[in-house]
Amino acid sequence: MIQEMLARYRGRFLAGGLLLLATNALAAWIPLLLRDAVEALRARPEVATLGRFALFIAAAASVQAIVRTGSRLCVLGASRSIAYDLRNRFFAHLQQLPASFYARHTTGDLMSRAVNDMMSVRSFFGPGLMNLANTAIVYVAALGLMTWISPVLTVAALLPLPFIMLTVQRVSRRLYARSREVQERLAALSEQVQENLSGIHLVKTYSREAEEGDAFNALCDDYRRANLGLARVRGLLVPLMGSLGGAGTLIAVWVGGRLVASGGITLGEFVAFSAYLGMLVWPTVAMGWVINSFQRGAVAMRRLREILDLPTETDDARVDPGITTLRGGIEIRGLTVAREEGGHPALEDLSLRIAPGETVALVGPVGSGKSTLADILPRFVRVPDGTVYLDGHDINTIPLAVLRAHIGYAPQEAFLFSRTLEENIAFGLEEPAPDEVRKAAALSGLDRDLEGFPEGLGTRVGEGGYTLSGGQRQRAALARALVLAPTILILDDSLSSVDAETEQEILGGLEGVTRERTTLLISHRLAAVARADRVVVLDAGKVVEEGTADELLARGGLFAEMARRRSLEEEMEARA
Amino acid sequence: MSGPRGIQEETVLGKAYDARLVRWLWGWVRPHRRLVLLSLMLFICVSAVQLVQPYLIKVAIDNYMVPGRLEGLTTVALLFLAALVGEFIFRFLEIYVMESTGQAVVYDLRTAVFAHLQRLPARFFDRNPVGRLVTRVTTDVESLNEVFASGVVTAAGDLIKLAGIVAVMLWMDVKLALVTFTVVPVMLGLSMFFRLRLRDVYRALRLRLARINAALNESLTGMPLVQLFRRQRRNYREFEALNRSHRDADTHSVWYDSVFSAVVEWVGTLSVALIIWYGGGQIVSEAITFGVLVAFIEYTQRFFQPIRELSTKYTVMQAAMASSERLVALLKEAPEPGAVLPAAAGGSGVAAAAARGRLEFENVWFHYHEGEEVLRGVSFHVDPGEKLAIVGFTGSGKTTLNKLLVRLYEPTSGRILLDGDDIRSLEPRALRRRLGVVLQDSFLFRGTVASNIALDEPSISRERVEAAARAVEADAFIRRLPGGYDHEVRQRGANFSTGQKQLLAFARALAFDPEVLILDEATSSVDPLTESRIQTALAQVTQGRTSIIIAHRLSTIVGADRILVLHKGAVAETGTHRDLLTRGGLYARLYRIQERREQESAGGAAES
Repeated sequence: MIQEMLARYRGRFLAGGLLLLATNALAAWIPLLLRDAVEALRARPEVATLGRFALFIAAAASVQAIVRTGSRLCVLGASRSIAYDLRNRFFAHLQQLPASFYARHTTGDLMSRAVNDMMSVRSFFGPGLMNLANTAIVYVAALGLMTWISPVLTVAALLPLPFIMLTVQRVSRRLYARSREVQERLAALSEQVQENLSGIHLVKTYSREAEEGDAFNALCDDYRRANLGLARVRGLLVPLMGSLGGAGTLIAVWVGGRLVASGGITLGEFVAFSAYLGMLVWPTVAMGWVINSFQRGAVAMRRLREILDLPTETDDARVDPGITTLRGGIEIRGLTVAREEGGHPALEDLSLRIAPGETVALVGPVGSGKSTLADILPRFVRVPDGTVYLDGHDINTIPLAVLRAHIGYAPQEAFLFSRTLEENIAFGLEEPAPDEVRKAAALSGLDRDLEGFPEGLGTRVGEGGYTLSGGQRQRAALARALVLAPTILILDDSLSSVDAETEQEILGGLEGVTRERTTLLISHRLAAVARADRVVVLDAGKVVEEGTADELLARGGLFAEMARRRSLEEEMEARA
Repeated sequence: MSGPRGIQEETVLGKAYDARLVRWLWGWVRPHRRLVLLSLMLFICVSAVQLVQPYLIKVAIDNYMVPGRLEGLTTVALLFLAALVGEFIFRFLEIYVMESTGQAVVYDLRTAVFAHLQRLPARFFDRNPVGRLVTRVTTDVESLNEVFASGVVTAAGDLIKLAGIVAVMLWMDVKLALVTFTVVPVMLGLSMFFRLRLRDVYRALRLRLARINAALNESLTGMPLVQLFRRQRRNYREFEALNRSHRDADTHSVWYDSVFSAVVEWVGTLSVALIIWYGGGQIVSEAITFGVLVAFIEYTQRFFQPIRELSTKYTVMQAAMASSERLVALLKEAPEPGAVLPAAAGGSGVAAAAARGRLEFENVWFHYHEGEEVLRGVSFHVDPGEKLAIVGFTGSGKTTLNKLLVRLYEPTSGRILLDGDDIRSLEPRALRRRLGVVLQDSFLFRGTVASNIALDEPSISRERVEAAARAVEADAFIRRLPGGYDHEVRQRGANFSTGQKQLLAFARALAFDPEVLILDEATSSVDPLTESRIQTALAQVTQGRTSIIIAHRLSTIVGADRILVLHKGAVAETGTHRDLLTRGGLYARLYRIQERREQESAGGAAES
């Protein structure tokens, strides 16, 4: 990754390096001008000559300012472009990773890689590389010139440097640990506030205000302690860095003063030497930071690589590009599959046949495998070859894009994006189709809610926009699936937050649609299930009953048992 | 969550100084004013030992180097060393004391804000999203800490330091000092210009980064949909646009940053050129010495530092004022009312002592939002020891009854009586102590299993905790946990199942032995074994106790002494199971349907 990025922006890095050389050459020239000015003064020249030196210094400073700006723009600018490239690449890659990847990684973890690690990488390529080069150049230039003025004085002035640097290094390590602690304490504190306020009704109901306050005060105290711990380290580090320059000056005055007094060097050389010593202070301080930034950058790049190197959910060699359309016939033969590799099978030796256009209700207790069965169709769950067939094609041979283009999925967790309602419904459409969107909204029973929205279909949803009720979200998600006119429609408990009466109306309205499509209906409501051509009852990953709702009720098996146990509230809802 | 989204909330910056807010802030600093004074004194000490250093160099040059004297130079060097050591020590102390001050103030403020939040009424939390309130307690308080950490408080010290430098320079040479000072307005103007510009640039940058983070977060959360609806390409285009706009803002900031630092360096060197040009002339005319010239160059560099930082402090101050404004507003919110009515004749204390647990709702009306009545004149009573089941649709107002009873909300009109006392005449804490509440989404607090049952109430012993757990048959599963009763409960009880949480809530209710039990029965299904345990626990807890049960299960409803049917915010029917069945109203109809279904399936089971 490092070589690739350096190569891609080699022009800017090269130019930046050259400009850094130039800026430091000018910087190194100024003390020499100072030396000459002091020498000239001791020789009592005309004031005009002094003016010339002052002008030279001003000119050198002006050019240096421009060149310094240029060098920073090149290198830092390149680091920003690198962060941009990597962020794009990271995002594009994330979009291609399979569902199994998302089951293993939390959003928080991925966000932290995309945000924090990306920052570390940027620091590595920007200020990190720049300061490394700058320090090297300044050291070579200043040390060379200092030695040229007086080797003895140079050795003497630099004597305290290694000791101070070692101490700084040691203290810095503690600084890192302490800052981390402060961060963690702050996180704990805000987590506590978050938890407390989210459950404020309960806190009040159980009169827990005082205890919650005590717990919070303890966290605040921890946080304060952590901050004071950090202050102790910072309190050492700041004057320590300051002493870098001070100690050198001390020796320069003591040893250098003797040299000047005894005529070993001139006063002008002493002034120039002091100036060079001053030039070394900042790069020396920066070195500690550079080392740190390189370490973090390396870790961050490894963490990005971990994700970027993962295989994407692409089609493999088995895929038959000749398959372009599907009619929606599904056949499952002896399928055993786990949601995660090596996990407990969610479906076991399951066989099922669904004709094109048929509506099948999937029923079963929690964990019986209904959702897994729904998830194998869009290949969110990969199945072994020779177990699942669509229109006679093994599902693994159908191009992923073709497969998904034929599936409309309305999940129970109706996640909507923070866009307008219209954009959400048209989420899967390549081209805008306002009429289709309106029709889908009407089919999902969303049209009567629209009047209540501030801007109808143009209302923004979620964060910063209008907040929809759970039922409205589910209906919008249903419209999002319907607008695609899919061959296979999967309704995974997709109207659970809608009241039973409305669900019946919506499903009734959908009959025209479901008649021409293969429909998988997962629902807990008997009335909804009763509408299906066939009910398939799953238990522990197996089909245990199959038939129409009435047949199954009469048979008195698991389905009848589940129907019996349903709550009174549902009954009231459905019949009142 | 206050992660990347927290950044989205952009601070609107206004005045850097507002007398009213500064007075308010001073109220928090006042208790720690000794610390403030101490750090100010330490700061002056730091400045003094810093300022003496260039002067020592001047002495070394003029008295020893130029005349070529060696003896005495060591003394100067030793003095210099002493100044360095002094600077080290004073600096350390100053940083530490300053941080202690800031932390002490911030601790007071933060805990006060939190304590205040605990006292605010439930309605306040309906209006204010949690994320925003978390920001108040964290970010806003933190930005006041910045006032101390960045040394705005030592701005007074800075002024003294500047005055010191000016005095020393004027004392050494008036004319050269005046010439050197001409650079000051240039430095001040430039740094002010760039800092303020940079602040805007950084704000734009943060905003764009927040947008990227929001888009990323959303895409990651909705990834299955993105993939299913094959949105990857368009999503990428949108992300790339956000990313590009962020990169452009970032590059913009690099530009300002680079120019700013280069310009500051440039002005510094220009002042050196100026000193060489004018001071050199003075040396030629023997008005000043070489030492003065070198010392001037040193002093000028030190002079610029506080001036450069002035603009940073200005920004910090602005942010602090904005945060103070918000905190003042929050602390001004009226807390939850206590006992708003005078205690009834005879004194509620007496009534409480003889409490038997009779509850009465008298024509209670309530709405969350104007015009959307949730309860319309609800009247009913529960006799001591009676078990009342409330049934009704979602949205019929069942849960609201609960909230009114514990005084999270007050009725719009009408009243609620507990043993004849209007509950508004009771302190909320005292009232809530008399009511045992078991909620549907049984919420566990962080701590241990035992602390969740006893809620840290000192009067509840471990024996009583365990006895309560045994009574509701929670003991068995608790003992199987690592650590048993001391097993750690994570945030919101994430490491417990719904059924387990409910059992613990029952144990809690039993341990507290309240006069009245309020139970919101869970709708979510649990496995049959847990279900039967919950039913046993329910029977245990309600035994001989006034109970209001918002019921969802037929067995619970039939087992109640009386049933109240709530419909659209009003009482539709009330009576015993038998009464209601004979009356042939809504309840009877519902029950018959349910019963028929049960017979059908029983019959079906017999056939097969």
